[in-house]
Amino acid sequence: MAYVLAYIDPGSGSLIIQAVVATVVAVPFFLRHQIARFVRVIRRRDDVSVADEPTNGTRSR
Amino acid sequence: MADALDPAGAHAVIRPEAVRFISYAYEWSFGQLRDAALLTLEAQDAALAAGFTLRDASAYNVQFHGGRPILIDSLSFERATPGAPWIGYRQFCEHFLAPLALMAHRDVRCGLLLRDFLDGIPLDLAARLLPRRTLLDVGLASHIHAHARAQRRHAGSAASAARGPTMSPLRHAALIDSLRRTVARLRWEPAGTEWADYADHTSYDDAAARSKDELVRRYLEAAGGEIVWDLGANTGRHSAVAGRLGREVVAWDVDPAATERHYRAVRRDGLTNVLPLLVDLGNPSPGLGWAHEERRSFLDRADADTVIALALVHHLAISRNVPLPMLADLFARLAPNLIVEFVPKADPMVQRLLATRQDVFPDYTLEGFRTALGERFEVLEEAGIEGSERTILRLRRR
Repeated sequence: MAYVLAYIDPGSGSLIIQAVVATVVAVPFFLRHQIARFVRVIRRRDDVSVADEPTNGTRSR
Repeated sequence: MADALDPAGAHAVIRPEAVRFISYAYEWSFGQLRDAALLTLEAQDAALAAGFTLRDASAYNVQFHGGRPILIDSLSFERATPGAPWIGYRQFCEHFLAPLALMAHRDVRCGLLLRDFLDGIPLDLAARLLPRRTLLDVGLASHIHAHARAQRRHAGSAASAARGPTMSPLRHAALIDSLRRTVARLRWEPAGTEWADYADHTSYDDAAARSKDELVRRYLEAAGGEIVWDLGANTGRHSAVAGRLGREVVAWDVDPAATERHYRAVRRDGLTNVLPLLVDLGNPSPGLGWAHEERRSFLDRADADTVIALALVHHLAISRNVPLPMLADLFARLAPNLIVEFVPKADPMVQRLLATRQDVFPDYTLEGFRTALGERFEVLEEAGIEGSERTILRLRRR
């Protein structure tokens, strides 16, 4: 970890717990974002396939 | 010097708007502190995305302006050092998370601890005061309970800060996300305090309430001026009357539930010129911090043109034993114009206050009230409120 010269006292215990907590919560955070991205991609693909379907000259969107 | 001030040579020019009224975290309702906390996290999130960071996370860097919280300390932003931790993390937990958790999980009055602990509530104290069930909330267990233990274990060990993993952008974003979720889970519904249901239990019927609104509106218009302080504002019925006249209103009340309801109402109705705040007039915010000058007192910030004090005098005079001349002194120190309601002993609300105590208030009559105010003020007009024995007086300071 980079050496810290701070404007306020960050507290050594606070820096350590911050790194530990951030590491732990990074796992579900990362997964959530991947899932959200995956869902977005799937949705977009669905939208595209709907849009590609032949229509009678009228489009609902 | 002239070059430095030449906007042509600047990358950007920040033109700050003056904040109308400076308030402090110990004067905010739960919802105000929560909104300020979420704003701070949003600012840190945006800063990180731009390669910057907040170098502190003080509750005193947030003010309410135009009906919403804003970050007032532009100099808090600095370029982020890659891999470095968030310096403001500890302060965020002490200034925001600890008081919010105590208010939500222990008692809303714990917010007043911020008055004693100007640098935020120490996490070991918060951990001891919080109920054990807060260990089951993963956010509070990490950011308060484990955090307090880590502080104790590593107290005074500067070297240990150099160990541990680098804070990657992902870890930074995850930390802020975790804090935001933890704050978002903290809830408090205004109920159960002395005044929570007061507005529903007043002795006014609708006609009398409307007659009072109209009288207040007329007197406010006659008094003129721009800034109104509403003392004993409750949930803000008459602050709104002043607000709709375009006045800048600071609305004080002693009750956390009433202030919370008032805050929610002004946000809902978009009353951007009404600021609800908490204060006990019997023991108002003092000057705090170094030489009493870091945080200004209630009186020191008084800048109102008009004070309105409706259904307030009997509470101070009878429940708090404040002599009427001293009440007049306080009003005179706050503003040149006063709109005040007198509720006589015959009124059921005063009867309730007197029910359990000896009546040691022989001067508590409309005539006695006029005499007490007369030392400081001149009565310009007065009128009875329809359907009640109450009187509203408009006065000007001598």
